[in-house]
Amino acid sequence: MIGERPFAATVAMLLLLLLVGVFLLAPLAVVAAASLSAGGFLVFPPQGLSLRWYADVWGDPRYVQAAWTSLGLALITVAIAVPLGTAAALSLRRPGALPLRGLWEFLFLSPLVLPAVVLAIGLLILASNLAGGPSKAALVAGHVVIALPYVVRTVTAVLAGVDPATDDAARVMGASAWQRLFMVTLPQAKAGIAAGAVLAFIVSFDDAVLVLFLRSPTLETIPLRIYAGLEFSPDPGVAAVSTCLILLAAVAVGVTDRLLGGKQVVG
Amino acid sequence: MNRSDRTEAALLAAPGVLLLGAVFVLPIAGVLAYGFFRDGVPSLAALDWTSWSRLFADDYYLGLAARTLRLGLIVTLAALLIGYPLAIAIDAAPRRWRTWLVLALLLPLMTSVVVRSFGWLVILGRNGPIVQWLRELELVDRRFQLAYTETGIAIAMVQVLLPYMVLTLLGVIGQIDRRLLEAARAMGAGWWTALARVTLPLSWPGVVGGSVLVFAVTVGSFITPVLIGGLKLPVLASGIYASAISENDWPMAAVQSVALFAVVLIVLLPYALVTRPARGGVAR
Amino acid sequence: MAAVSMTGIVKKFGAVTAVDSVDLEVADGRFVALLGPSGCGKTTLLRMLSGLEAPSQGRVRIGGKDVTALPPERRNVGFMFQSYALFPHMTVEANLRFPLRMRRGLSRSQEDARIARALALVRLPDVGQRKPQQLSGGQQQRVALARALIDEPDVLLLDEPLSNLDARLRDEMQLELVELRRQVPITTIMVTHDQHEGLALADDIVVMRAGRIEQQGTPESVYASPATPFVADFLGAANLVPVSVEGGLARWPDGLTTPVDGAPGQHTLMLRQEDIAIVQPGAPAEVELTARIVAAAFRGSSLQLSVEAGGARLRFGAPVQGGYGVGAQVRIGWVRAAARLL
Repeated sequence: MIGERPFAATVAMLLLLLLVGVFLLAPLAVVAAASLSAGGFLVFPPQGLSLRWYADVWGDPRYVQAAWTSLGLALITVAIAVPLGTAAALSLRRPGALPLRGLWEFLFLSPLVLPAVVLAIGLLILASNLAGGPSKAALVAGHVVIALPYVVRTVTAVLAGVDPATDDAARVMGASAWQRLFMVTLPQAKAGIAAGAVLAFIVSFDDAVLVLFLRSPTLETIPLRIYAGLEFSPDPGVAAVSTCLILLAAVAVGVTDRLLGGKQVVG
Repeated sequence: MNRSDRTEAALLAAPGVLLLGAVFVLPIAGVLAYGFFRDGVPSLAALDWTSWSRLFADDYYLGLAARTLRLGLIVTLAALLIGYPLAIAIDAAPRRWRTWLVLALLLPLMTSVVVRSFGWLVILGRNGPIVQWLRELELVDRRFQLAYTETGIAIAMVQVLLPYMVLTLLGVIGQIDRRLLEAARAMGAGWWTALARVTLPLSWPGVVGGSVLVFAVTVGSFITPVLIGGLKLPVLASGIYASAISENDWPMAAVQSVALFAVVLIVLLPYALVTRPARGGVAR
Repeated sequence: MAAVSMTGIVKKFGAVTAVDSVDLEVADGRFVALLGPSGCGKTTLLRMLSGLEAPSQGRVRIGGKDVTALPPERRNVGFMFQSYALFPHMTVEANLRFPLRMRRGLSRSQEDARIARALALVRLPDVGQRKPQQLSGGQQQRVALARALIDEPDVLLLDEPLSNLDARLRDEMQLELVELRRQVPITTIMVTHDQHEGLALADDIVVMRAGRIEQQGTPESVYASPATPFVADFLGAANLVPVSVEGGLARWPDGLTTPVDGAPGQHTLMLRQEDIAIVQPGAPAEVELTARIVAAAFRGSSLQLSVEAGGARLRFGAPVQGGYGVGAQVRIGWVRAAARLL
């Protein structure tokens, strides 16, 4: 930060921060506000304040079922993506150890940028050929693919701060590869692994694209129910569920920030 | 470096590579194959260009592609024009503010895109606050709304993509050595000059990286254009969905997928190749 | 405790040859310092001894046994890293217990006893429950040393052990290391770029450059009789003058001659700073030369003079009281044998 910033610049920046802050949070605020509507119509600003829609939604078996499905999917995704992603990050750690390192790095991170629609179609085709139609396995596979880069990035970011000499030291002291991994390296990377798990969870929970393509009557997630609610005239109940998702995201953001303490890994 | 170090690295990478190979590379290759070969089975005899001719001949599909690219460019530009000053502002902010500002960027990112799109539907809709305000100023008539317009889609997408741009830029701007700016000031440069002559050139990799990222994600976006734009304003991604799910026209879906994939790769690959040798790291 | 032998060691990293045909013998119980500038291959050599790197060619023997193919976890060496490499997620005690656990075979109380002894050895008996981050740099270094020694290795390897410490601590630690050596006379090989460290601590020094050994021997002998200009300059600041020698006389760049011991031909004449002095009236030197003072720097207890003599620049120290100023002409001199031909 340079000193003596011209006053105009400071004002401009403050104004910008305010306006963009509002811009970024507006849709979330609107949904949250609409969910508190006492009336039956979804309108902003809400007419009257009430929590009835929350009670409504949590009592609705379809929503509850969807929540369980989302939760189950997310947990399985975490269970697969975290070990695989951590291993991938470890393999990329020492330059020169892995041939064609750039290629693998690109592979592990590319689901972040490559269109999920294309992956969804591909998985649908694959599932149709192998299992006769969309299946839970295909959806889990898709979620693991989109969650993996997040784990790789958080673990890599934390590993960057770990002294590679600790691994050497453990070796010289007689530790086997497993012992080094579990007693020396992974404990030091704990925060990255945990943050990766949180991000993998939320990415899976939030996914709306893959579930749209790979859904089946027995496989309905919360985002899918929201999407379906939006295709017709949404009632404040949809807003209530959405607000719950926002709160979930807030928890995830808070936890990740706590774990990583400022290391930026998203974006 | 030992042979055992190499073995270790290979063993660690293997499960991820195998999994991605099976459920990422393979499915995508399958789709791409469907775009060129009849029934998706590669062979010289099965080469089939009929769907491709439909793509380029039919106005509907050309319009789709044009809209997708248009959105990509507009959103990227807007994200850059808003995002760069914002990144500067966040970087200049005192430490305590900074955490909250970054959290404000991350919260929308971590919220499902259906929810964000939902919010925009309300805001941009006929009864939404913006339109009401515009109506009060008598700039628009009773039936106007920003939802179901391309402008509406663009506005919503900028909000969705802005965090990607800002975080990328912040990463790069944060790495700039403060002393370079101090040196510039000492040599007589004003605040704006230092910004233009020191910060901007040094943050260029972030500008390019952020733009590539935002463009790639925008053209591949599905949920937001579909929800905000509706059926009358499809993009490539929604075209793929319509062809595959509604019309059961797999070759057409595949062809559009190839087109989309190609657009993303054209932007992504040069960037990836150029930045790889310079860094060994994963940070972006 | 064991002797160490490295024969015909070559290490290539792709096209780069880091170590080029090195033979090194270290007798049992000796302390050897590998000295040299960055990139000379000394650390690579150390890592090959530990097994963390494998030589491209050559054999490594510890205690007479060929360990070249043995991975580090099966060799019995202690390694102290430049960054100390203490495990930050474990207490000091857990750090020290780690190597004992890895080798197994000791009961808990035996481990405890060893840990207590190791901490006593480095004079840190009370830090067991603290984490490394809570210790000062000097304390961390001592814990790292204790950890390297606790499992009674055959050889102790030190990688730039004192380079992370500030000057005063470094001097302190040097003395402590000397004392430690006395108590634990283990075969030790130390890598350092600091010649003072090498000279102070080692029984033998090995000066390396560009992957090869330039000279090895006891500190005294290498210092007194450097084999090459590089060694002469690396160990203590030496003045080096290109001369041509004929008939017992060295011809300096401007034509002046001084008597010298050595064979005829083109040589580099070496004069250590401490061997040159300003000639006092009534006390002539064996060899004298007229010099003009070009620069003088006050060093507190002495003056550092830079003079021009015989067409060359010489640096040496002079007493402050002399009142020597820039531009003054002085007579400088040295003992004939101090001028060595390289």
